[in-house]
Amino acid sequence: MLPKKATMRSLLMEHWELARTLRRLQIHFDSDRCRGVWQCYEVCPIGNWTPDYDRMVAIFRNGKQCIACGACVLQCPEKAIELRIPDG
Amino acid sequence: MATVFMKWLESRPLDYDRGIRLLTLGRLELLQAQIVDRLIRDGMRVLEIGCGTGRLAIAMAEKGAQVTAIDISPTMLTEAERRVNQFELEERINLKLMDASLIGDRFEAGYFDLVVSSLVFSEMTPQMRILVLQECLRLLVPDGKLAIIDETLPDNHATRLIFGAIRLPLRLLTWLLTRTTTHHLRDFASMLSNAGFSEEIVISRLGGSLQLVIASPADGAGIYILPATVLGRLRHRTTLRTLLLDLWATFLRILPPYPKVTPGLYVVGQPDMDSPVLVTGNFELTVRRLVREIDNRIDAWVLVVDSAGINVWCAAGGGFFTAEKVIGALRVSGLEGIVRHRALILPQLCANGVDGWRIQQEIDWDVHWGPVRAEDIPEYVVSGRVKTDAMRWAKFPLKDRLEMVTVTLGFYGLLILLPVAVFWRNMLWPVLVSLVGLSYFYAVVLPWLPGRDGLAKSFSLTLISLAGLLVYIVIWDSLPGQYIFNWVLGLTALSVFTAAELQGMSPLMRGEQANWGWEAVIGAVLGLIYWLIPYTLGWR
Repeated sequence: MLPKKATMRSLLMEHWELARTLRRLQIHFDSDRCRGVWQCYEVCPIGNWTPDYDRMVAIFRNGKQCIACGACVLQCPEKAIELRIPDG
Repeated sequence: MATVFMKWLESRPLDYDRGIRLLTLGRLELLQAQIVDRLIRDGMRVLEIGCGTGRLAIAMAEKGAQVTAIDISPTMLTEAERRVNQFELEERINLKLMDASLIGDRFEAGYFDLVVSSLVFSEMTPQMRILVLQECLRLLVPDGKLAIIDETLPDNHATRLIFGAIRLPLRLLTWLLTRTTTHHLRDFASMLSNAGFSEEIVISRLGGSLQLVIASPADGAGIYILPATVLGRLRHRTTLRTLLLDLWATFLRILPPYPKVTPGLYVVGQPDMDSPVLVTGNFELTVRRLVREIDNRIDAWVLVVDSAGINVWCAAGGGFFTAEKVIGALRVSGLEGIVRHRALILPQLCANGVDGWRIQQEIDWDVHWGPVRAEDIPEYVVSGRVKTDAMRWAKFPLKDRLEMVTVTLGFYGLLILLPVAVFWRNMLWPVLVSLVGLSYFYAVVLPWLPGRDGLAKSFSLTLISLAGLLVYIVIWDSLPGQYIFNWVLGLTALSVFTAAELQGMSPLMRGEQANWGWEAVIGAVLGLIYWLIPYTLGWR
């Protein structure tokens, strides 16, 4: 049975929203919380994170390449990384 | 193929030797002669498991061996006894009625220099084979030898087919006559190595279906018994089944149901308590590719976690492969009592869904994120878990792009081509050629097209395909305006579709939903143009 019109429309809108969100997500990194565990470096398949061994922090270097997979967000023990839609 | 008649022949001991000679075309005797020539020295102690009418035992005793020969059939033993008496070898041959599984209880450890057996192991159940082999290891002196002649399944596919064809009627006949069936040995080599033997000499006859294997206790061999929770040994093999699965995976991989592997603990090679524990999902293709890369390279415990039959990255992203599932699988596997380290190697690409810290905090196992690609695992493991940057970065090389385009075409290509085939049959070939050509062209030039995602890249792909159309019109054929109009719209649609679809298959772009909205808009605009322009120009 086909879903009702309203449901179908809301589903489409939901999908549209998800698509828009996925396109716009950006890494937000709170480097003050970072204490150099470098799990982000361990798991990032794009190579966006590099360890800074002197300052014992991670460096996020290339926002454009990010595929928003969320691996670094999940693995960071300090919760210093977030995927956010930038303001404005 | 000999043993299929054995159950029947065994009841007629007098015909037994003649029958076997005929069925193995005399090759069994030749292989037995090899044992006598190569291995028998004066005064050595030999155990023969399943002596039958005593032919081999007599030959060995005549060359000076002290033979203990056991068999489970009283009629066979009676005949053997008659012959032993006939050759006056009672001093040298000790005949016993005994089941092979009991040899460990009846003889002293380290008593025999040689254990021989012909056409017996193929009659045993797999469990019994393992037990008997382990007992053989115990009964042998450290530099002793094991010599087994038996039916094996030929490695070669063609030979195996012939083997099967001949075997079938024999099997049927034997079953009708005796209500029993027999088995050939499969993968005997790995069973031998599991029991702690190392193969020294293999002599094959009858296209590899009859083999003499001479083995000796492996250096420092403890008895290798798989823990009870292990579901099996994973090996890299190519069979008809894997070929069919590959065929399916090449064209229709995106369609459920995804072929699955039963989740649980497996071994690759012969892992011990210090061997690494590799965690993976239970998509059949995932497990098979992992095994292809590590079999014969490293020994490992492989913990297959239920990922709903989906590859690890997508399963983790979709919530099918989680820390919860890994912890559960680990508990069920009993690995805590099997290995003496607490290090899990997880695929790096499941880090988007499996919370490594939770695993660490809840059950105190260290999580190590392994390489992105399975082919790097042996190097990663051997180097003591050193992961180079090349191992941690996902790439999308030409080989993968071509594979993914094929996967896309298999399903979506059908989706596009079926309506075309039904409603515009005369357009089928042009559309087919454009779609396939455009897809593979895109896969090849993908890295050089400007833009970060599929939608951006689809712009240049559209321009290129339209340029191609222009070249076609100028050089070969000046199409009427209406056709050109249709082709421009069609190629634009196919270009956008191709680029957008491959985006979801690429590890370097955001997921396929990311551009969904714009694809829908572009589709609607193209559709509108398709209907409106002919109308305003009066083509309809």
